[in-house]
Amino acid sequence: MMRTKSSIFCDLALLLVFAAPPLFAHHGFAVEFDKNSPVTLTGVVTKMEFMNPHIYFYMDVKGKDGKVVNWAFEGGPPNVIYRQGWRKDTLKPGDAVTVKGFRAKDGTHLAACATVKLPDGRELSAGSGAVAGGASGSGSNSGKY
Amino acid sequence: MSATKHNVRASIGPAMTLLVVLPFVCACGGRAASGNSQAAAAADLNGVWSAPFTPDISKPLGHQPPFTPYGAARFAKEDEFDDPLTQCLPIGPARGIQAGIMPFQIVQTPSALAILFENQHTFRIIHTDGRSHPKDVDATWFGDSIGKWEGNTLVIDTVGLNDRTWLDTAGHEHSDQLHLVERFQKVDNNTIQWTVTFEDPKFFTEPWSVTLPITRQNTEIMSYSCEENEKDRVHLRRTKK
Repeated sequence: MMRTKSSIFCDLALLLVFAAPPLFAHHGFAVEFDKNSPVTLTGVVTKMEFMNPHIYFYMDVKGKDGKVVNWAFEGGPPNVIYRQGWRKDTLKPGDAVTVKGFRAKDGTHLAACATVKLPDGRELSAGSGAVAGGASGSGSNSGKY
Repeated sequence: MSATKHNVRASIGPAMTLLVVLPFVCACGGRAASGNSQAAAAADLNGVWSAPFTPDISKPLGHQPPFTPYGAARFAKEDEFDDPLTQCLPIGPARGIQAGIMPFQIVQTPSALAILFENQHTFRIIHTDGRSHPKDVDATWFGDSIGKWEGNTLVIDTVGLNDRTWLDTAGHEHSDQLHLVERFQKVDNNTIQWTVTFEDPKFFTEPWSVTLPITRQNTEIMSYSCEENEKDRVHLRRTKK
């Protein structure tokens, strides 16, 4: 579990990935989110919950009408993304970020977070892609942690 | 007399120490030899492991399982909305291996082997002391498991499962007649070939098997509480009418 800053940075660098529906441990993607409703939102982080069974974070997004809406974003399980390099303070209140994701089917201001673009330009996967490498049986997750 | 008592006590002391320490010595001693695939009686399966996440177990099979008409009808109407994991219920013995997303740890002693799932911090105990299944086993989430070694392969037989777990996220179900046979074959120090055979006369016309590679993970089991911050259920929608 002991990780050097450089190894964490390497992990993060590996996570410059493109948006894809994240896979969840606790429920299927399709029962909550619509893969046909992609969304890209830019705003300011207001809260981070690095907790099970999924991380949640919240972001104020200003609309074209000037009205601010607080969106909720769900990511992968904290254990999974911890192993990908995330930490509790990877996103902090006040951070200006851009999120790519998929809206909830119930029409609320909730989305599955696929990637987050940080102020420094890095784009991180917030799903569970590294472990959830698919059913290929290729062992592609070997040594990923 | 007292000298005899002393001698008895003196001889019991080291013996008790050995009884306590031996399982750990055996378990750890095996690790040193684990690179040798020719390991005799039992391979060393200790460690933290993970299989490729397989949310649809029909994918590695290449087709749907050989459903009975009842099994096919159940699968046709099954909805991820009803996945027991969304209710934070236990993941079950095979799904915990192939679709838990998170790794699991195997702790091995001569008489038993424990599989500790990070997912919901559930666990399996596999008895390897030669016992049989109880005659009247009550159905439980992880069933009754006994194991025996065939060379470097641990063969685990599991019965006594309830019908409340799923085999995967896609909604493959089973009844309380499910019989699992798993083969954990140590291929090398970092790889176990896992073959699971599902037998359930209520859902399947014949037994069917899937093989996946389990690979050693450079990590430790982390905390997990499904209810810690559960906020999804109110947002879930059925995917089938």
